[in-house]
Amino acid sequence: MLLPYLLLGAILFVLGLIGFVTRRNLIIMFLCTEMMFQGIILNLVAFGRYPLKGAPTFDGQVFALFLIAVAAAEAALALALVVLLYRYQGTLDANAYRMLKDE
Amino acid sequence: MTLLADATTTILPLRLYATLPLWPLLGALLVGLLVVLRRKASATHWPVVLGVAASATLAIVLFLDLPKSTTNAALQEHWKSGVSASQRAGELYAVFTGGASRAPALTYTLYNWISLGDQSSLCNQHWLAVNFYFDGLTAVMLLFVTVVSTIIVVYSIGYMRDHHGQPERGYERFFAFLGLFVFSMATLVLSGNFILLYLGWELVGLCSYLLIGFYYPRPAAAAAAKKAFIVNRIGDFGFALGIFTLYWFLTAGADPLVQHGENPLDYATVFKYVGALEPWQITTVALLLMCGALGKSAQFPLHVWLPDAMEGPTPVSALIHAATMVTAGIYMIARCTPIFGASPLALNVILVLGLLGAVLTATMAAAQYDMKRILAYSTISQLAFMFVGLGCRVPDSAVFHVFTHAWFKALLFLGAGSVMHALSGVIDLRRFSGLRDVLPQTCRTMLIGCLALAGFPLLSGFWSKDELVHAAFERHPVAGLILLATAGLTAYYTFRMFFLCFHGELRLPDDAAQPHEAPLVMIVPLWLLTLGAIFAGYLGVTFAAGGESFLGFIRPHGLLHDYLHDSTIGTPEHGHGGLWLMYVSALVALGGIGLAWARFGQAPETDPDARALGGLWRLWHAKYYFDEIYDYAFVRPLRNLGRVFSATDDYGLDGVIWLVAAVPRSLSFLLHFLQRGALQGYALGMVVGVAVLLLLWNLIGV
Amino acid sequence: MPTLLIAILTLGAVGLFLALPGGRADTRRVGWVVLAAAGAVLLALLLQLVPGADPRGLFAGFALVAVFAALRVITHRKPVYSALYFILLIFAVTGLLVLLEATFLSMALVIIYAGAILVTYVFVIMLAQQSRPAPYDVKSREPVWGCLAGFLLLILLARQIELFLVPAQRTPLPAPVAEAAGTIEAVGVPLLTEYVVAIQIIGLLLLAALVGAIAIARRRATPRVESEGDE
Repeated sequence: MLLPYLLLGAILFVLGLIGFVTRRNLIIMFLCTEMMFQGIILNLVAFGRYPLKGAPTFDGQVFALFLIAVAAAEAALALALVVLLYRYQGTLDANAYRMLKDE
Repeated sequence: MTLLADATTTILPLRLYATLPLWPLLGALLVGLLVVLRRKASATHWPVVLGVAASATLAIVLFLDLPKSTTNAALQEHWKSGVSASQRAGELYAVFTGGASRAPALTYTLYNWISLGDQSSLCNQHWLAVNFYFDGLTAVMLLFVTVVSTIIVVYSIGYMRDHHGQPERGYERFFAFLGLFVFSMATLVLSGNFILLYLGWELVGLCSYLLIGFYYPRPAAAAAAKKAFIVNRIGDFGFALGIFTLYWFLTAGADPLVQHGENPLDYATVFKYVGALEPWQITTVALLLMCGALGKSAQFPLHVWLPDAMEGPTPVSALIHAATMVTAGIYMIARCTPIFGASPLALNVILVLGLLGAVLTATMAAAQYDMKRILAYSTISQLAFMFVGLGCRVPDSAVFHVFTHAWFKALLFLGAGSVMHALSGVIDLRRFSGLRDVLPQTCRTMLIGCLALAGFPLLSGFWSKDELVHAAFERHPVAGLILLATAGLTAYYTFRMFFLCFHGELRLPDDAAQPHEAPLVMIVPLWLLTLGAIFAGYLGVTFAAGGESFLGFIRPHGLLHDYLHDSTIGTPEHGHGGLWLMYVSALVALGGIGLAWARFGQAPETDPDARALGGLWRLWHAKYYFDEIYDYAFVRPLRNLGRVFSATDDYGLDGVIWLVAAVPRSLSFLLHFLQRGALQGYALGMVVGVAVLLLLWNLIGV
Repeated sequence: MPTLLIAILTLGAVGLFLALPGGRADTRRVGWVVLAAAGAVLLALLLQLVPGADPRGLFAGFALVAVFAALRVITHRKPVYSALYFILLIFAVTGLLVLLEATFLSMALVIIYAGAILVTYVFVIMLAQQSRPAPYDVKSREPVWGCLAGFLLLILLARQIELFLVPAQRTPLPAPVAEAAGTIEAVGVPLLTEYVVAIQIIGLLLLAALVGAIAIARRRATPRVESEGDE
């Protein structure tokens, strides 16, 4: 029963990754990172439910909770940055912020 | 609250007395709060004045409230008995705490601070506690520290303003520092263990640094503050080492002296076991502790910082460098009498250093023109007198002199401050004279102060100084003669200063606009201190008519001594008789004053001494070239060494680091083009990297 | 089976590449057809793996919804719709979590993600809304490389999972225990005993994020001249 969940988690993770790499809207990019989190949460919980050894534990769910908290923190900061960047240049295009690189 | 043995306790709870140091601290913090709230600077002195006054009130009440002993017989027996010195120290303490007659020491533990662990695998029972120790010595010290501080703080309200009554820049800061200082000093005096003592010791040093450097934009003030701090650091290093070795000796070994449940650095523990140490151990500890006292009390050879410390505002000079902070060294040695008393070598070193310092600095004082510097050298000289007393096994007389000295020296400094205030900061005696009509109140109070310092009979300085001279004579006639001569010299240079300032025809510096008498808020403290300068000595004498009395009605050894004998000092052995010496020293003082009148009574513009003494006078004027010698012997070699290290760091180490850094930098230059600033490109790179790793794992690993 | 999987996933990659924003509408439609085909085969494959009758249908349904929603999130040209599809994805994941008996976590996920985080996203999207689709939403960036790398990774991952699970599959899967249900108590006890330090650190992190977000958002950014940096 573990395999389908792991595969599904991997699919969600990779779709998020592809979205992050290909989409240019900063907000969508962050949304894609959240999607990657979903894949990981699914993985963690599935592993907790169907461990390779021994009885099911709740550690996976606890980790998933931590992950949600981290995601919330990330979302708060990321969105604040997005708002700031939008005010700064009036665009959400990731390519517009290339000047952050070291000249 | 811990009571030792069956001592009667105080009437008011000890908890109340334990708050004594906290009021000035609270005041200082409130000043900070007022500054944050942007209140007017001119009222910011109130919290500190009230805080310090609260402390002073508590100190006076404590002084009266402390349980008093009725008999010193048991202790005196032990001091006189023929047992060896180290044994005596240990037994002294045993008598002192466990004796059935009384136990004057009270300890109040605020809380256990640091756990020291345990040598033998039992539960933690050794602590460094924050505890306060109340005995006669504490009470006497606190009495003058807080009361004189209160008076000086009040004086500062007037002093730290310009002629229009506007507060100087940094007025709030000044008062906050004063509050902090009184807190530190009270902590130092009250502490019940060596660590808290060290804490107070360093806090006092810090406050001294802050206050000497109060006018920090002036380079001289900044340099003086640094000098004071660094010279003190040298002494404090020795002091810290002393505490460490003490701890080591008491706790090291398979069978340590300190038992379970006893805090190894508490006075109670230390003095209980110090008698069981080897003589060499006691001497090591005593000499190291003495280093601390030399630094803090500005004794030869670490005396160089005190004269420079006069760069601070005058109330600071009065408070820190005359009345309180510099007395910490004397206090510490007196407190550690059980340690020092067991080490004849340490006592001899203290005696010799004291004698040397007394003579050297008194002669330096005789050849200066800066009023505050004269007073500073005089302070060192007087502290050296106290050192001699400590070296002669009469710590109670030394503390008595500390007590009286605090009043008249504070008075003298504040008087000098009043002169400075009137003359817009001019303090060079060559530039003015004849101020007695311009500053009548200052002149009168200064006269009393000078008389007290000179040892004029019936004023406070006379009684305490005479005790020290007497003890020195008991110890060795040469020591006594040196002290007596120095006492005469003290009278001479004190009145040289007085006459040059107040006598002769009126001369004023050009840049002093309108000399005026100080405001009431400065004059009243002067008169209060004058009262102290006259009457403080009477706490240390008793009125008794009869044959063995000075002038037929006064006999040395009074209330203050009783207090001090109820402390770790114990009851030193005072020689009897020697009443003739009091008359002799009175004559010497009068002779010194008379000589000063003959030479400086008309405040001549050129110094007659300079011509008469020639090279010797120049040597004195240049302070025996101590600063220059130290500069050549220590400062410059160290600075050069520092330059070498700095160069090694800059070129040697940094060069290597630069090389190490240069290689990756040059490599990274090759990969520079990959950085394009596109976030997603980087992410793609990561994905590819992970994929490649996985692929490799797949191909190789499985 | 690996070759089949690789084929399916490659098909998926092609489909996704075609469906990503940037191309013409009809190519995108073709992409969706390809994706649907790949998805159907994959689903059948997955269902084969799931033993037992009961959760099979539910799992298939939720998985389908989840993958569809995920695809829509990354292919939709309007950010608002992306966010809404993301909510759909959350609900699908919630269903899967319920199947895994993580009831508390599933509720927490809905409340925190759909309720809090996504609302914030929608707010920000509204804030940055423009009248017509922005150029950076219409055209995606290097879709070829992205899809290629992504699906390469996916294939490798799938293969890895499969290899890794082969020995595990031989042992019987642990039977669902009655008390294994992820109630608040069941999750809360380890959370506050075993992982108490972690939860404190997480609290600190959230506080830091809160302070940071406020500090960043309050700052006044001076707008730059439009001609600079704009493509």
